[in-house]
Amino acid sequence: MATSRGTLDRLRVERAVWTFDARLQDLPRRSRIAKRRELRDNLWAAAEDVGARQAVRQLGDLRVLAAGYLSAEYGELTRRPSWGAAALTIFLVEAVMTLLAHVGRVAFDAGITATDPQATGTFRWNGVPYLISDETFTYLDGTHTSVGGAWTPLVYVLMLGGAFVTGRLWRLTIAWRRYQTRPVVTDDQKTGGQA
Amino acid sequence: MAPTHDPQLLKGVLSLLLLRLLAEHESYGYEVVQRLRQLGLTDITEGSVYPALARLEREGRVEARLVASRSGPARKYYRPTAAGTEALAEGTASWLSLAAVVHPTLVRPLPDPPTSTEDI
Repeated sequence: MATSRGTLDRLRVERAVWTFDARLQDLPRRSRIAKRRELRDNLWAAAEDVGARQAVRQLGDLRVLAAGYLSAEYGELTRRPSWGAAALTIFLVEAVMTLLAHVGRVAFDAGITATDPQATGTFRWNGVPYLISDETFTYLDGTHTSVGGAWTPLVYVLMLGGAFVTGRLWRLTIAWRRYQTRPVVTDDQKTGGQA
Repeated sequence: MAPTHDPQLLKGVLSLLLLRLLAEHESYGYEVVQRLRQLGLTDITEGSVYPALARLEREGRVEARLVASRSGPARKYYRPTAAGTEALAEGTASWLSLAAVVHPTLVRPLPDPPTSTEDI
């Protein structure tokens, strides 16, 4: 059954492609893009035969399909590298540190203004040991500006080190070695433009 | 109704079948699925074939090239590498050796079931 590429069909195919892509977040970007393109092309080829709806249905569970690709890339590792976990760790460290800095500043400000609601002068907050550096508050009639309070290098070490550990990023070396040792792929004709 | 095939059995020989089909002539993903269905594997899914192709490519047993398509973006055609051809020969010999043992065993007639005697 030949079908034209109607808007609904495009939506069906793109929805499947991007759902699939979302489950391949742990693949290197270039590999993920290549697989996305290939799936889209195969889906359209199938859609010309059986229609877009059936083509998408024939793919089966997209989670299973994506898991198959992940196994193909990393082997049957039960603990694969996870960019998602790494990104989540960075986000969590950032969120915790932002919250900690905010709470510390608010508490310090509350302490100053509780003592003297019309405080004027310069006050120094010692920050959080090892995590947040000193911060200087300058008050004028109870309102303040502040300078300092940066995150220490340890925070960035924790952030990146945590991402490395929780994302199991050292396992990327396995995929990298496989990529380096595989035969050169020949592209007779490359036509770009498809994302 | 088309017979269904044990997915575990099929998984074991899918790579071999793919190498064989691609050795006959290079194909892109969906075309491989169609060819498998024409062989009688009507219940095979794209979800099992596409990752198997990716695995073969990662293992260096097939290589891919992009070929411009009239109907859309360039298609990724697969064909066996030298390592793939070697794996196909070894796999075929292994399969035929196994089938030579398993097939005659499975098709030979079973002995007559023992007749039951009524308890008195």
